[in-house]
Amino acid sequence: MNCKDFGNMIHQLVSGRVADRTKQLEALEHAGHCLWCARRLDDESKLTERLQAFAGSIQGQRAPMRVEAELLQAFRERKPGEGTKLFGPAWRRIWRGAAWGLAFAAMAATAWIMIIEWPRLHRGTSAPPSRVAGSRPQVSSDASRAYDTPGSGATLKSDARAEVAPIRNSQRSVPEESAGEAATDFISLGTCDDSQCMEEATLVRVALPAEALLAFGLGTDNEYAPDATVQADVALGSNGVPFAIRFVN
Amino acid sequence: MAELTDLRDEQLLLMMQAGDENAFTTLYRRRQGNIYRFVLEMSGSAPLAEDVTQEVFMALIRESRGFDPSRGSLSGYLLGMARHHALRLLKRDQTYVSASRAEEGGREWGDAAPASGEDPHSAMSRRETIYSVRQAILSLPEHYREAVVLCDLNEMSYEETASVLDCSVGTVRSRLHRGRALLLQKLTGGVKVEPAREAIDGKRCLA
Repeated sequence: MNCKDFGNMIHQLVSGRVADRTKQLEALEHAGHCLWCARRLDDESKLTERLQAFAGSIQGQRAPMRVEAELLQAFRERKPGEGTKLFGPAWRRIWRGAAWGLAFAAMAATAWIMIIEWPRLHRGTSAPPSRVAGSRPQVSSDASRAYDTPGSGATLKSDARAEVAPIRNSQRSVPEESAGEAATDFISLGTCDDSQCMEEATLVRVALPAEALLAFGLGTDNEYAPDATVQADVALGSNGVPFAIRFVN
Repeated sequence: MAELTDLRDEQLLLMMQAGDENAFTTLYRRRQGNIYRFVLEMSGSAPLAEDVTQEVFMALIRESRGFDPSRGSLSGYLLGMARHHALRLLKRDQTYVSASRAEEGGREWGDAAPASGEDPHSAMSRRETIYSVRQAILSLPEHYREAVVLCDLNEMSYEETASVLDCSVGTVRSRLHRGRALLLQKLTGGVKVEPAREAIDGKRCLA
């Protein structure tokens, strides 16, 4: 036996709980030649004596008689059948398990509604009437695609109509294009490269100073009068930030 | 009543559930002392011990079906209930275990009358020992105090204690070990109890 084994059984040794007589003798033999463990045994024995003296001093203490009298009164006054619950411990455990299961299912359902269904419903009910659903504008990130470039100045590209037709037809805020109206491709403003912006685009028809064309490389300095305006359709993202523009002739 | 005292707790409980008042009285008289002393040792307050004893048996009257024999003895079940009630009340009113309260309650418990024929000096010494042990026990953290009170003062086995405390036997062992080490430290004036190093240097067996 070493000091560790001795330490593990010292409490049983001093309280006389060692069932194995051989182990008890081994422990005492160890304490006989190990000063450290002998000292521990002595300390633990003294502590046990003190605790036993203390326990002996309160051995006869009991609750006062009035407690028994009150309990007996309560026992007599109890209703017949009280204290004998309909369901025993086994049923209560089953019910507790079922309750946890139901709680988990309710939480899962709530999470499903909050994460999956609610955003979908919310999007469906609160979308403005001019919101484009199921279509997206064809945005050209390159302004040079917006017009023909064979050297004779800027001209609006008439065949851009076909590309944006689905959007144009679904927009109430954008006036119906007349038969003679032509439009450029959508020109990206660089504020959103995410396809989600295209999905949720809202088109707004605005009138801009003609100089705005210059900013997109359309036209020349002396082509327009200073107070001239041009029509443009601005594609707004769901956050209200414009992300594309096309000019209408 | 003579026959009832021979019955086991579980049998008395069944008779009590059927409305037998004598069975209830027998069961109460058999078990109330343990519960009362356990709470007294844990809290240092006789009124609290009285309240908890009453609450435990009131709960037994109201919900005697709550006891499941497959999970342990009725004695352990009642002590477990007493422990919960006592801890709840102790948390509500921490002053129960303060040193000042323990001093006030010095005459309530643990201050036994001198044994017949005991000389005054021995009686005084015994009272001092009891007082210091009581103070040391009350100053232990709750989870160590429970283990010491159940195992050392009530002489319960590790298994029974584990059932009352709702923990493993290993946990009981370690808490008891630590609790006793703290008690030794407190009872020896705060000096950590270790044999003098120089005296045992090189003599500790590590093999």
